[in-house]
Amino acid sequence: MKSTLIKFPSPSSAEAIIAVSGLSRQFGTKKALNEVSIFVPRGSVLGFVGENGAGKTTLIKHLLGSLKAMTGSVRVFGLDPVLDPVGVLSRVGYLSERRDLPGWMRVGEFIRYTQAFYPGWDERYASQLLDQFQLDPVQKIKTLSQGQQAKTGLLAALAYRPELLILDEPSSGLDPVVRRDILEAIIRTVADEGRTVLFSSHLLDEVERVADHVVMLHQGRVVLNGRTEEVRAGHISALLAFAQPPGASPVLLGAHAVTGFGSEWRVLFGGSRTDLVTAAALIGARVVEERTPTLDEILVARAGGKGS
Amino acid sequence: MSHGGTSGWQTPIGAMLWEIWGRRKVNFAFHTIALMVSLFCVRWIQHGTNQVVERVLVMVMLSCFLGAYFDLLTCFGYIEADARKIQLGYPARLLLKPVSTLRLVLVPMLVGGAIVATVLLIWNQYILQPLAHTSALNPYWLGAIVVSFFWWMQALAWSLPLMPGRSLIMLIVALIHLGVGILPLLPNSLSGWQWLILVVLLVSAVLTAWTGLGLMRQGKWDGPSRLNLFWNRWPSFHTTGMRGKFGSAFAGQFWLEWRRQGLILPGITSGIMFVILPLIFLVNQQSGVPAQGADFVKILLILTLLVPLVISSMMGATIARFDQLQASNALPVYIGARPITNGGLVIAKLAMALASSALTWLTVLVVAAFWLVVLQRHWLISLIPDVSPFHVVTTAIGCVPILLLLILYTWKNLVAGIGAGLTGRRWVVGIFTGWKAASAIALVGLFTAAKFNSDFQAALLHWLPELFFVALVAKVAVAFAIFSRGLRQNVITSGCVGWIACGWLAAGFFVTGYAGLVCRAMRHSDLWLPITLGGFLILPLPDLAIAPLALTWNRHR
Repeated sequence: MKSTLIKFPSPSSAEAIIAVSGLSRQFGTKKALNEVSIFVPRGSVLGFVGENGAGKTTLIKHLLGSLKAMTGSVRVFGLDPVLDPVGVLSRVGYLSERRDLPGWMRVGEFIRYTQAFYPGWDERYASQLLDQFQLDPVQKIKTLSQGQQAKTGLLAALAYRPELLILDEPSSGLDPVVRRDILEAIIRTVADEGRTVLFSSHLLDEVERVADHVVMLHQGRVVLNGRTEEVRAGHISALLAFAQPPGASPVLLGAHAVTGFGSEWRVLFGGSRTDLVTAAALIGARVVEERTPTLDEILVARAGGKGS
Repeated sequence: MSHGGTSGWQTPIGAMLWEIWGRRKVNFAFHTIALMVSLFCVRWIQHGTNQVVERVLVMVMLSCFLGAYFDLLTCFGYIEADARKIQLGYPARLLLKPVSTLRLVLVPMLVGGAIVATVLLIWNQYILQPLAHTSALNPYWLGAIVVSFFWWMQALAWSLPLMPGRSLIMLIVALIHLGVGILPLLPNSLSGWQWLILVVLLVSAVLTAWTGLGLMRQGKWDGPSRLNLFWNRWPSFHTTGMRGKFGSAFAGQFWLEWRRQGLILPGITSGIMFVILPLIFLVNQQSGVPAQGADFVKILLILTLLVPLVISSMMGATIARFDQLQASNALPVYIGARPITNGGLVIAKLAMALASSALTWLTVLVVAAFWLVVLQRHWLISLIPDVSPFHVVTTAIGCVPILLLLILYTWKNLVAGIGAGLTGRRWVVGIFTGWKAASAIALVGLFTAAKFNSDFQAALLHWLPELFFVALVAKVAVAFAIFSRGLRQNVITSGCVGWIACGWLAAGFFVTGYAGLVCRAMRHSDLWLPITLGGFLILPLPDLAIAPLALTWNRHR
C-alpha cells in the first residue's frame, strides 16, 4: 500500500472541530483503529468511507465518547468527549447506523423526550421537518418502516441545529426517496453558516455529491485524506497496452489495482500523468486511454485491489 | 448443522431440538450442577446435622431449585426478541423454514412441556418431598398445571408479539393458573371439575398458539393489527407524553424511566395482592379453625408487608437496565448520545425507584383495605362503636412513619444492585448476585445459630453495636473513596454528592428517631443504638456512590 496521502485538513490548517491524533483501538486481537489522525475544520462536509470493518463506526463512537481512546487523543470542539460528554454531546447531532430508537415510544413522545436535553431546540424547524418527512406523531416507533425510523432519527438529530452533525451510514438500507431527504438535510445543515457534517457511507456517489473532504479507512488505518476533487484528481484509471502479453499480472510502481488479461490491462494509478507514463514505459507498456476514476473505483482499488 | 452428528438430527424437528441443545449447553450443565448440589444437601440433612446448618442447606436447595427451574423455562420457551429488539415472540428465522405451522407449534410445546414437567417431578421426588415430608398438592397435578402455564405463556408470546397490554393478559392467565392450581384445596364440589378445566386450558393453549402463529405466517397478524391501530388511536393516548415540553433534561429522563419501569412494581404487587388475599381467605375458611376478625387481619397484614418487600428485592436486579429487550445491558444509543451527565442518569433512576415504591405502597394499601372491607365487614362494623375520631387521627399519624419506613426499605431493595447493573456487564451482575446470595445465606445461618445457641446469642448481642459501628465506618469510608474518585473523574458533581449524602443522613436520622420512639415505648432503650446503627447500615451509600462510575464504565467503553 502506498503511503498515506495527507493534504488537507491538517492540524495547522484551520480551526479543527474534530481533532483526532494517533488514535488506536483494539478489540481482543483485532486492531480496529491504528494510529488514526484526522482534523476536521469548521464548516466542512467530511465523507467517511471504507469497507465493512474498516473502523468507521469505531472512530465515530470515539467522537461521541461511547468508546474511550486506548492510545492517542480525541477532541471535539477542543473537549474530550469522555471527560465532558455534556459539553460535546450538547453540540452534536447524531444518527446511528442501527437506528437505535426506543420502539415503545410514539414519534411525538420521542421528539418531546429528545427536546428535553437541548435548550436550543427549534420547535418551528422540528414541526417543519415533521411535516416534510410525513411522520405521524401518534404512531409508535416500532411500527414505523426503516425509512420512517431513519427520518425520525434525523429529525431528532437536526431540530436543535447542532454545530456538528454526525451520520453513521445514514442511507444504509433505505430507498432513494429517503436517501434524497437525508442528503438534502445535510446540504441544508451546511448551508447554515459554520456548521460541520461528518458522515460515513458505502454509497460513494453520495459522498462525491455532498462531501468536500473525504477520509478513507482501510483495516483501521487512514489511507486517504483530502479534498474530494483532489483525491480523485490524484488518481488515474488507465488502460495499458503491451506489445507482448506479459506472462503474469504486470507489476506497475504506484498502481493500486491491476486487472485484465492478454496485452491490455487496466490500472488504477496513484500519482501524476507523467509518473504513470514513466512507470508504464519501465514495464514495456504504453497508456492508450486514461480518465479520472470515481471514488468507488478508488475505494475498491485501495481496499481490495492488487497493486505494487 | 454440520456438527449434528447422527442423521437423526438431519430433520426439521431434529434441527429445532439440536438448536436448543447447542445454544443452551451451559444452562443444562448449570441445571445439573444445581440438582447435584441439592441432592448432596438432602443427603447431608438426612444423615443428621444441627438446625443452623440444616436451615442454610434448605436455603441453598431452594435457591438452586428456583434459579435452575426458571432458567429451564426460558431455555425451552422458544421466545426470543426480534432482530430490531422491539418485541418478544416466536423466533422469526424459523417462520420462513419449510415446516408446517403445526410442527412449529407442537415441537417446542411438547418437548418443552415434557421436560419442564419431568424435571419438576424429579426435583419434587428427590429434593422437595424429602424436605417437606408431605405435599399439599398432588405432584402430577402440579406438573400438569406448570405445563399448562408454560404452554399458555408460549401461546401468548407467539400469537401476540405486537399486542399492546400483552403483559396484562399474561398476568391474568398466570392468575387463572394460580386459581386452578389450588382447586384441590377447595371444597369437593369445585375440585371435581379440576381435571376437566385443566384439559380445556391445555387444548386451548395449543389451539391459540397454532391459530396465532398461522396468522402470523400468513402476514395477517404481523404489524399493527386492527386492535393495535385502535389502541394507537385511542384519544387518551394521543396526548400522553406529548403535553408541553419537559422543564429539564432530568425531567425528560425521569419520564423515560417512569414509563419503562415505574409501574411494574405497583402493578405486580397490587395484582398479586388482589388475587392472593381472597385465595388466602378461601383457604383459611377450609381450615379447621378459620382465623376471623383480628386474627385474619394479622394474616392480611403480614402478607401486605411481605409481598412488596419480596417482589422489590426480586426486581432489584433489573432496575438498572435501560431497555428490557436488549440482549446486553449496554446503554442504548438514544440515551448515551444525549447531553446528560452519568450522575443525572443515575439520579433519574433513583427518583423513579422512589416514586415507584411510594405508589406501590399506596396501591397495596388500597387493595388491602378493599378486601378487608369486602371479607371482614361484619368485624369492621362491630368495631365502629369503639372508634373515636381521636383514635382514627392518632392511628393515621402513627402509621405515617411506618409507611415512610416501608417506602424507604422498598426503594432500598430496588436500588441495591444498581451499581452492578449499570456496568452493563453480565459477569459483574453475576458476581454481585452470587455475593448477595452468599451474604443472605450467611446472615440466615448467623441468626439461626443465635436463635438456638443462647451463649452465642448473648455474645452476639453484646458485641453487636461494636460490630455495626465498625461496619458503618467501613461503609462510609468506602463511599467517601468512591465519591472522591467520581468527583476526580468528573462523572458526578459535588451537588449530586451533597444530595445523596444529605438524603442518606436524613433517612438515617429518621430511622434513628423512630427507633428511639419505639424503643422507649417498648422499654428497651438498650436496643436503640444497635437499631440506629443497623438502620444506617441498611441504607445504601457505596452502592449509590459507585453507580455513576459504573455507568461511566458502561457509557465510555
